[in-house]
Amino acid sequence: MGSVITAEGLTKAFGATVALRDLTLEVQPGEVFGYLGPNGAGKTTTLRLIMGLIRPTTGSVSVLGMDAWRDAVPIHARVGYVPGELVLYDRLTGYDHVDYLAALRGGTRPARVDQLAEQLDLDLRRPARELSRGNRQKVALVLALMTEPELLVLDEPTGGLDPMVQRTVQGLILDHAAGGGAVLLSSHVLGEVQRVASRIGVLRAGRLVAVERLDDLRAKSLHHVEVQFAEAVPAGILDPVPDLRDVTVDGSSLRCSAPQSSLDAVLKVVSAHPVVDFACAEAELEETFLAYYGAGETDAA
Amino acid sequence: MLRDITTKTLRDQGRAFAGWGVAIVLLVAMYVAIWPSMRDQPAMSDFIDQMPEAFRNLFATSGADMSTPVGYLQIELLSFMAPILVILYAVTAGSAAVAGEESRRTLDLLVTAPVSRRRLVLEKTLAMVIGTVGLSALLGLALVVEGRFADMSLPTADVAAAMLHLALLGLVFGGVALAIGCATGSPGLSKGIPAVLAVVTYIVNGLGGMVSWLEPLQKYSPFYQYAAHDPLRTGVSWPAVVVAFVTVVVLVVVAVLGFERRDVHN
Ligand SMILES: Nc1ncnc2c1ncn2[C@@H]1O[C@H](COP(=O)(O)OP(=O)(O)O)[C@@H](O)[C@H]1O
Ligand SMILES: [Mg+2]
Repeated sequence: MGSVITAEGLTKAFGATVALRDLTLEVQPGEVFGYLGPNGAGKTTTLRLIMGLIRPTTGSVSVLGMDAWRDAVPIHARVGYVPGELVLYDRLTGYDHVDYLAALRGGTRPARVDQLAEQLDLDLRRPARELSRGNRQKVALVLALMTEPELLVLDEPTGGLDPMVQRTVQGLILDHAAGGGAVLLSSHVLGEVQRVASRIGVLRAGRLVAVERLDDLRAKSLHHVEVQFAEAVPAGILDPVPDLRDVTVDGSSLRCSAPQSSLDAVLKVVSAHPVVDFACAEAELEETFLAYYGAGETDAA
Repeated sequence: MLRDITTKTLRDQGRAFAGWGVAIVLLVAMYVAIWPSMRDQPAMSDFIDQMPEAFRNLFATSGADMSTPVGYLQIELLSFMAPILVILYAVTAGSAAVAGEESRRTLDLLVTAPVSRRRLVLEKTLAMVIGTVGLSALLGLALVVEGRFADMSLPTADVAAAMLHLALLGLVFGGVALAIGCATGSPGLSKGIPAVLAVVTYIVNGLGGMVSWLEPLQKYSPFYQYAAHDPLRTGVSWPAVVVAFVTVVVLVVVAVLGFERRDVHN
């Protein structure tokens, strides 16, 4: 079977603002693709193009082998979507939403709904206007998951959810992928996707700047190295070692961040001098990610 | 009640419809209650006759006789209040159909369901038609039933004819609201433009008989199709029905094509 999502030269401009520029991307069955970028990078724009809500300026995107704009109806029958700015009908309850959208799909309330609500600890009998942001988000997840779609398109789906529920949602995403389904999951922080994504794409100012397997990112994961020498060492002592970051040598103390692949070379340089103290700790994946793909540009909000 | 977009939309309109319905029944009751004192006051007819002609043309169907029930209703209710109510209702429904849901952002739920944009617009249109026709029918029913209490003999068939023309009048402006809402997504434009259009075409129709340069435009006014042939006395004018119906169909086609071609705003 081919790709679930194929974008080719996909570009979207809103007047003078180019929100997405020349995106080429494939998402495979059974894959969870983490789509990362700071606010305003163009994630929502990409997902809305995939859902046929907006039309590409140039290029194209196909979903399940069909054109996202032209064939929106058959595609939507097989895709679940959680919009970024989620709004429900104030007066309708969770069950009303379920029944309405199930009817629009030509069916009745799927048996899976109550099981999903229980897993998410969600009361579907309450009207949407009485629900917290987190609970609305859960209703949206139930709506997207209830028909067991082949593709899930989730726009920052865990924003507003407490960490425990985030875990549950991540579990649902993993189950979905384990069953052969594909997931496109956007977020502005790696932490929200790193447990579930097999690959990540990094979007910045409308351009896809990197696509990387999460395992490869882990292999590049940085280690903080701190050494206290018995005597002052030359400032350029680590110059021969490649791929180091944030090297500071201050008299007899040394600090740096090193990927796993450089650790051996660092140790060999260090051990040539008398060492008083030595510490080496692996950094959070998030920190590694930011070191490679732009600290300061990721909005922490 | 949540089987499809039409029933869901009618359910949303339910409260508004109930409010409008009560207003109409009370309004008719008020006019009917005033009727006996009007009838016995020949001065009232004189008053209308003495009004400046422009004024009379604007607010009354010309030639109506205030001393008959039919003439009284034509002048008092059907020339002004009833069109306002029905047009307001239809324009509100037409604007809410797509532009309203879009500005409240619930449209994303519908457009990302496996429902074509065409079907979405047509189901919303059907809800607008049912609501507008229902409201007109309620007005007609109120006239006939409440009129009995005041000895107003109103020919049922002609009241039905007038209500058919009234519903079509509302749907023409509702159709404009729908088309603009579908093409632009703007609730403001989709209510404002039909409102301005209604005022302008009302004036064109009212003054067309007197102002020579307006006269050629008069028969293009939806109000001309609505009442120029005096439906309470002469019944249905099929040419007028066809003109209004074709106008509504064209507007719905414009709405579908407009919505099928554009981005949904976020
Ligand atoms: N409908 C629109 N009209 C004009 N500009 C838009 C529209 N939608 C998005 N943009 C702009 O496109 C850029 C990308 O936005 P978006 O895709 O929402 O980013 P993200 O989801 O990554 O935060 C932003 O600069 C935003 O202001
Ligand atoms: Mg976004």
